[in-house]
Amino acid sequence: MMASSYNAKEEDGHHSGSASHGGAAVVKSKKPDNTAFKQQRLPAWQPILTAGTVLPAFFVIGLIFIPIGIGLYVTSNNIKEFEIDYTGVDMNSACYSCAKNFSWNSTTSCLCTVDFTLEQPFESNVFMYYGLSNFYQNHRRYVKSRDDSQLNGDMSALTNPSKECEPYRMSEGLPIAPCGAIANSLFNDTLKLYYLEANGTRNEIPLVKKGIAWWTDKHVKFRNPGGNANLTAVFQGNLTATSKPVNWRNPVYELDQDPENNGFINEDFIVWMRTAALPTFRKLYRIIQKKSSTMPTLPSGKYVLDITYNYPVLSFDGRKRMILSTISWMGGKNPFLGIAYITVGSICFFLGVVLLIIHHKYDTRSTGADIPN
Amino acid sequence: MQPNNDLSLHRIMNTESLDSGLTWEVKANSSFYHKHKQKKSFLCFHWGRYADNVVRSYKYSPLTFLPLTLFEQFQRAANLYFLLIMVMQCVPIISAVPWYVTVIPLLSVLIIRGLKDLANDLARRRSDREINTRPCDVLVSQSFQTIQWKDVRVGDVLRINKDQVIPADLLLLSSSEPYSLCYVETADIDGETNLKYRQALSATHTELTSQPSEEVLSAFDGVVFCEEPNNRLYTFRGQLQWRGEGFSLDNEHILLRGTVLRNTDWAYGLTVYTGSDTKILRNCGKVRVKTTRMEKVFNRLVVGIVLCVLSAALLLAIASSVFSTWVMSHTQFQSVLVVDDNPIYTGFLVYWSYIILLSPAMPIALYITFDMIHTIHSLFIDCDMEMYWQQTDRPAQARNTSLNEDLGQVGYLLSDKTGTLTQNHLLFRQCCIAGEIFGDASVRAEDVELMDLGWNPYSCGNLFMSAPMLVQRLREDQCPISRQFFTALALCHTVMAQWTEDIPVYQAASPDEEALVCAARELGLVFLSRTRDFIVVSELGIKRQYELLAVLDFTSKRRRMSVLVREPEGGVKLFCKGADIVILERLEEDCPHLDKTERALELFAEACLRTLCVAVRSVPEALWGQWRKTLTKAATMATCDRDALLETLYDQMETDLLILGVTAIEDRLQEGVPETIALLQEAGLKVWVLTGDKKETAINIGYSCKLLDPEARLLEWQELREILQSSDPQISFLKGRQTDVWAVGKESAGVKTSLVLTGPELAEFDQRPEWEPTFMKLADQCQSVICSRVTPAQKAQIVRLVRKHTSSVTMCIGDGANDVNMIKTAHVGVGLAGVEGGQAVQNADFALSQFRFLQQLLLVHGRWSYRRISLFLRYFLFKTCGFALVHIWFGCFNGFSAQSLYERWFIAFYTVFYTATPILCVAIFEQDVNAESSLKQPELYKCGQTQELSSPLMLLSSLLYAVYSSLILFFIPCGVFYNTAFDQQTMAVTVSMAATFIATIEVILLTRYWTKINVAAVCTSVVLFFICSRITQSAFLFQRSPIDYSFMGVSEKAFREPVVWLTAFLTAWTAFLPSLTAHALRVVLSAPNKHKVHSVSSHSVELQSKFRRRTSSHRSSHQQRM
Repeated sequence: MMASSYNAKEEDGHHSGSASHGGAAVVKSKKPDNTAFKQQRLPAWQPILTAGTVLPAFFVIGLIFIPIGIGLYVTSNNIKEFEIDYTGVDMNSACYSCAKNFSWNSTTSCLCTVDFTLEQPFESNVFMYYGLSNFYQNHRRYVKSRDDSQLNGDMSALTNPSKECEPYRMSEGLPIAPCGAIANSLFNDTLKLYYLEANGTRNEIPLVKKGIAWWTDKHVKFRNPGGNANLTAVFQGNLTATSKPVNWRNPVYELDQDPENNGFINEDFIVWMRTAALPTFRKLYRIIQKKSSTMPTLPSGKYVLDITYNYPVLSFDGRKRMILSTISWMGGKNPFLGIAYITVGSICFFLGVVLLIIHHKYDTRSTGADIPN
Repeated sequence: MQPNNDLSLHRIMNTESLDSGLTWEVKANSSFYHKHKQKKSFLCFHWGRYADNVVRSYKYSPLTFLPLTLFEQFQRAANLYFLLIMVMQCVPIISAVPWYVTVIPLLSVLIIRGLKDLANDLARRRSDREINTRPCDVLVSQSFQTIQWKDVRVGDVLRINKDQVIPADLLLLSSSEPYSLCYVETADIDGETNLKYRQALSATHTELTSQPSEEVLSAFDGVVFCEEPNNRLYTFRGQLQWRGEGFSLDNEHILLRGTVLRNTDWAYGLTVYTGSDTKILRNCGKVRVKTTRMEKVFNRLVVGIVLCVLSAALLLAIASSVFSTWVMSHTQFQSVLVVDDNPIYTGFLVYWSYIILLSPAMPIALYITFDMIHTIHSLFIDCDMEMYWQQTDRPAQARNTSLNEDLGQVGYLLSDKTGTLTQNHLLFRQCCIAGEIFGDASVRAEDVELMDLGWNPYSCGNLFMSAPMLVQRLREDQCPISRQFFTALALCHTVMAQWTEDIPVYQAASPDEEALVCAARELGLVFLSRTRDFIVVSELGIKRQYELLAVLDFTSKRRRMSVLVREPEGGVKLFCKGADIVILERLEEDCPHLDKTERALELFAEACLRTLCVAVRSVPEALWGQWRKTLTKAATMATCDRDALLETLYDQMETDLLILGVTAIEDRLQEGVPETIALLQEAGLKVWVLTGDKKETAINIGYSCKLLDPEARLLEWQELREILQSSDPQISFLKGRQTDVWAVGKESAGVKTSLVLTGPELAEFDQRPEWEPTFMKLADQCQSVICSRVTPAQKAQIVRLVRKHTSSVTMCIGDGANDVNMIKTAHVGVGLAGVEGGQAVQNADFALSQFRFLQQLLLVHGRWSYRRISLFLRYFLFKTCGFALVHIWFGCFNGFSAQSLYERWFIAFYTVFYTATPILCVAIFEQDVNAESSLKQPELYKCGQTQELSSPLMLLSSLLYAVYSSLILFFIPCGVFYNTAFDQQTMAVTVSMAATFIATIEVILLTRYWTKINVAAVCTSVVLFFICSRITQSAFLFQRSPIDYSFMGVSEKAFREPVVWLTAFLTAWTAFLPSLTAHALRVVLSAPNKHKVHSVSSHSVELQSKFRRRTSSHRSSHQQRM
C-alpha cells in the first residue's frame, strides 16, 4: 500500500539536504560509460534494400532453381521403376483367393504367382521394395508401441518390456519378444522373383537380404540380448523365457538361419521397425546385385513373382505392392522434387518480372510527377 | 495537576470533541498512554488506533515470499496456461512430448521473476530501514535523547534541528525564531520550492520558550483533539486543551512529515500523527501497473492463438474419433490404435494430446525474452550519454522497464509548464523607466556583458542586464524617478531576507518577486530586513527604515499587490506593482510617459518577457487616517463580508497612481525547448500544456516555446462552447476558422488554431460528458492545446479524457508533486529531475534531467524500441506458429493421432537454441536509421503512432504467414517422401532443418543492422542445430536412455542424403518467398516515397525559420504567483 516511492523520495530529500551542507564526500560521477555497446554505436554493416538488389535476387533464384529442377526431373526420369500391385482385390488377379481367405489366424501359407513383363532392361543394381498403402505406421499409438531397450538387447527389458508395448506386452504369461504393435505387425510376405526365359524355364533371381537396413540400426540400435550366438537359449531360457508376438508364425530367434541376421538384428525386422512417415510407403525388401558389366541386372522380358501371401491388408482397404527400381544419387524415382523446383523457380522468375514492371511503371510515374516540383 | 481533575476534564472534552468530529486524541508527554494503545491493539479495537512510526513498504517476509510470489505469478494467464500444459504432459497417455519440454522454461520464468521481485523487495526493505533508523531527538524525562524514527510515538515531544527532515506530523510548540515562527520546505510534498512559514500558538510560544526548555517542555501536558488521520495536506482541524483553555489549531501550526526545517535553528513539536497516519503516507496512492499498448494487442492475440489451438485440437479430436471408428469397423489387428476400443475416449485423449503438441505455438520463451529485451532497452536509456546532464550528474533513468515500445508510439504529449518547459529561474532582463528602455533582451543572458557593480557591497553579480547609463543615473542621483522605481521594487514584496556572509539571500514565495528584489539589490537599492512593522532598505549605501503601514495582498483576481509605507521623512507612500491592464486603468489622469510605456510593454511582450507595471502614489495623511480606521473595522468582521469590504477598500487606495516603469523578467525556457517542441510536432505529436499558472503566462510561454504560432487563432472557451453547443460542431468549427483573417485554406487553418482553456472552464465537462468526444475531435485538429489554472486532479482528468477518446498513447511530463497524478494516469509518465522535489521522478516511468532529452527518448530510443519490439513479436509469432502448426497438417496423414512430426529434443531446443539469439540480436541492436538521422527525420516517428509495424492487421498477417509456412513446411516434404522408402524420422529431420532454415532466412531479411554479434548469432544458431541434432541422435546418448534418444543415427544418415538437403532448401525458400515478395514490393513502392519525405523535410526547415520571426500583439504579461 505504502508506495515505495515515498521512501525513495524522502531519501532524495535527505540526500539533497546533506549535499547542501557540503558534507558530501567525493561522489562518483554517474556519467554513463562511453562504450560502443552502451551508446548503441556498434560498428555495423547496414545493407539497404533497393530495387536494384532485391529484384535480381528473384531472377537469380529462379535461374538457379529451374536448372536444378530440370536436373532432378531428368535424373528421376532416368530411373527405371516397375511397380505391381498384388493385393488381390480384383477377381481376376492372382492373389484374389489368398486375399479373400487369409487371416492372421491361418496356419498354412497361401501361395500365389504374379506374372509381369519388364519392357526395358534394368542396368545397374536393382532394389526390390514392398509397398503398403493406407497403413498408418505413423499413428502415434502404433509408433510408440515398442521397447527400444528390449530391442537394444537389454536383459531386464527383455523379461519386463515397457508399458508402451501394451497390449502386445505379455502373452500367455510370458513377455513378448519383441514386444509392441510394430513388431507384432511385421510384414511377413515372402517374395521370390523368377526370370521367365523364352523356353519357359524359371530362373530364380538371387535376392540379397543383407545390407538393406541402416548401419547404425543394425549395429547399434538393434542388438540381440546376450550376443548373437545361441539365441534360442536366451529367448527360451528359464529366467528369460519369452513368447513370440501373437501374429508371428515363428519366434524371433527363428527369423533366419544366419546368426548375423537373426533375432533382433534380422534386417527385414529392422527395416519394418523403422516406421514410415506417411500412410503410403515402401520399404526395401531385397537387393538384386549387378553381376557383370555386360549383362543388365534385369534384362527385359517376362518375370514371375512368387508370393507367399501371409499379410492381410484388405480388411483396412490396404494395398500391397512389389516395386523394382534402380537408384541414382538422389535415391529412388522422385519426380515431385524436380517439378517442385521448376515450379518454385518459375514463380520466382515470374514474380521478378512482375515486380520489375511495377518498379518501372511506378518509378517513371513518380519521377514524372516529381519534375514539376 | 491532579489525576482526578485530569480525568474529569477529559471526559468533558471528549464529549465536546466528539460532537465536532475531533476524535483523535493526543496527550503530550504521555508516551506510556499511547504506547499502551499501540501495542495492545489485539486485545481491544480501540487500543490499536495509533500507528507506529515505521514505514513498511516491503511485501514479503521469508515465510510468505514463496507462496505470495507464486500466487502473483500464476495470476498471469500465460503462466497458468503453461502450468496446465505441464501437468498434462505428465500424464503418459496424452503426453505427446515429454514434460521437460515445458518445465524447464516455466521454472526459469518463475525463478527469474521471483528473483526480480525479491531483489526489489530487498531494496524496499533497505530503503525502509534507512528511513526507519534515521535519528531524531525525543524528550524523555527532561532531556533530549536521540532515538530512531521508528520509535517515535504519538504524544512525544521532538526537537527538530535545522535542515532536518520532520519524522512525523507535529504540532509546532515553539521555535528559535521570534514569535516561534519557523520555515519549512515542502518540496517533497507539493513541489513548491519556496519556504513556507509555520507559527506556534502564542500560548505555547510564550510559555514554552523560557529556559531551561527541557524542563518546561516536559511539564507540558496539553491534550490535542483533532481529526482522524486523513490525506488532506492543506487542512488541519484541531484543538489544544491546556490549562483548562482550548486553543483552536489549523494548518499553520502543523509540521508535516517529509518537510524540511529551514532557516530555523530548532523547533519543538508534539507528535500528532505517526507512520501510516501521517498526511503524506495517506497520500501515497496505489501504484498502477502499466502495460504497453502493444502488449495488450499481443495478449489479445495470444488469447486468440490459444483459442485457435483449442478449436483446432477439437476438430482434430473429432476427426480422430471418426478415424478410430473406421479402424474399429475395419480391422482387428490395428486395434491398438484405439484406446480401450472406445473411439470417443480416444478422441478425448487426442484432444489433450493436441493441445500439448500445439502449445509451442505460444511459447513461454516469448515472455522471458520479452522481459529481457525490455530490460536491455531500459539499460540503453540509462546509459545514453546524450541524455546525461552534466550539471546535476544525472543520467536518464528508466524506472519502469516495461514501457519502452510505448515511447515509440506517443501521440499526445501533455506537459507541465513551470520547471518543465521553463527553468523556473527568472531573470530580470529589461526595464522601462519613465518611458526609457534599459537593457536588451535580444542578447542571450549568458552573453550579456556584466556591469561593473563593484561599488555595491551587496552585489552578487547575477544581474543579466547591461545598462551603464541607468547605473550612472542612479549613482549620480540624476533621475529621481528611476531611484523611486527601484525603491518600489525593494519595498513592494513579501520576501524574507536571510543573511549569509554579509549578503542578503532572499526567500520569496514567488520567483518573480525574488528576481525583482535581487535586481534592485544589484543596482544598489538593497532590501535588508523586514520586521512586522518596518522594512530596512539600503539606498546606495544609506540605510533607511520605512514604516510598514499595510500590505495590500496579491490575489489572482486583483492581479496586483501594494505596500503602504511611511518614509523616514514622514510622507505616506503607496507602492504598487501588478499586471499592466490593472495598473494602467488606475493611473492618474495625464500620466506622463504613458505612450512610451505602452510601447515598451508591447516590445517586452514580443520578446516573451513577463512584464509588471510599477506605480507609486503619495497618500495624503488625512486619507491614510481615514482609510486606516475602516481597515481596522474590517479586520473584526466575518470572513466573507470582510473579503468584499477589503477589496473595495484596497481599490480605493490603489487609484491615482503615477507610473514609474515596467519590469521585464525572462522566465527562461529550458535549453532547447522550442526546438524540441517543434521537432516533436513535426513527428506528429500533439503537445498540450497543462499548467496551474494563469492563462496569460501560459500563453506567453506557449509563444516563446513555439507551441503557439504567432499567426494562430486562439480559440477560447466562449467560442469553443458555442461550437460545442451547435448542432454540427465540425461545420461551425470550420466556419469559425474561416472568419479568421489569417486562415488561408481549410487545411492550413486547422494547423493554425490553438485551444486555450482554463481549469474552471474544463470543469464544465463534468456536467456535459457528451461534449467530450466532440471536444477531442476539435482538439485533434488544433495545433496545440493550452490548459491553464488546472489543479493536479484536473490534469489527470484531462489525461483521462484524452485516453478515453483517442486510441493514442499519452505521455505526461512534469517535475513537481502537482504533476504526480497525471504522470501516474498517462500511459507513459516522465519526471523531470529539476529544481523541485523528487516526487515526480519517483512516480514517473522515466526520469530525465532536461525537457529536450525527450527528443532522444522518444525519437531515438522510443522509435528504436518500438521497431525492435514489433519486429521481435511478429517474428516470434511467425516462427513458433509456423513450426507448431505443422502438426495439424501432419495429423491428417497419421490418423489424427497427435503424433509429433519432430524429435522431442528439437521441440525443446527450437525456440531456445536454434532461433532465439538472432532475433534477440535484432531486438537489441536493430537500427533502421541511426540516432542522428532519427532526429533529423522526425516524420519517421509517425510509423509508431499509426502502429504501422504492430497493428492487429500486421500481427494477423504474420499469423497468416505462419500458417502458410507451416503448410509449406509439411506438404513439400510430404510430396517428396510420399510412397518412398524414407522413414518418419528422416522426414522429421528434414522438416526440422527446413524450419530452422526458414526461421534463419527470415531473420536475415529482417536484420538491417549487422553487427558482428548478429553475424555470430545467426551462424551459431544454424551450426547449433546441426551439432545438437548430432548430439541428441548419437549412439552414446541412445545407449544411456533409448527412449529419450530414439532418433539415434538419423541425422548422421539424413545429412548425407542429397534429397533431404534439396527438400529442406526448397521448403525454406518456398516458405520465405511471400515475405521476400512483400519486402520487394515495399522497396519498389516506397522508393519514390522517400524522395517525397525528403522534400517535405526541407520544406519544413524553411517553415521553421519563418517561425522565428514571430510577431504578435495578442500577448500581455502579468505578475505571476504560484
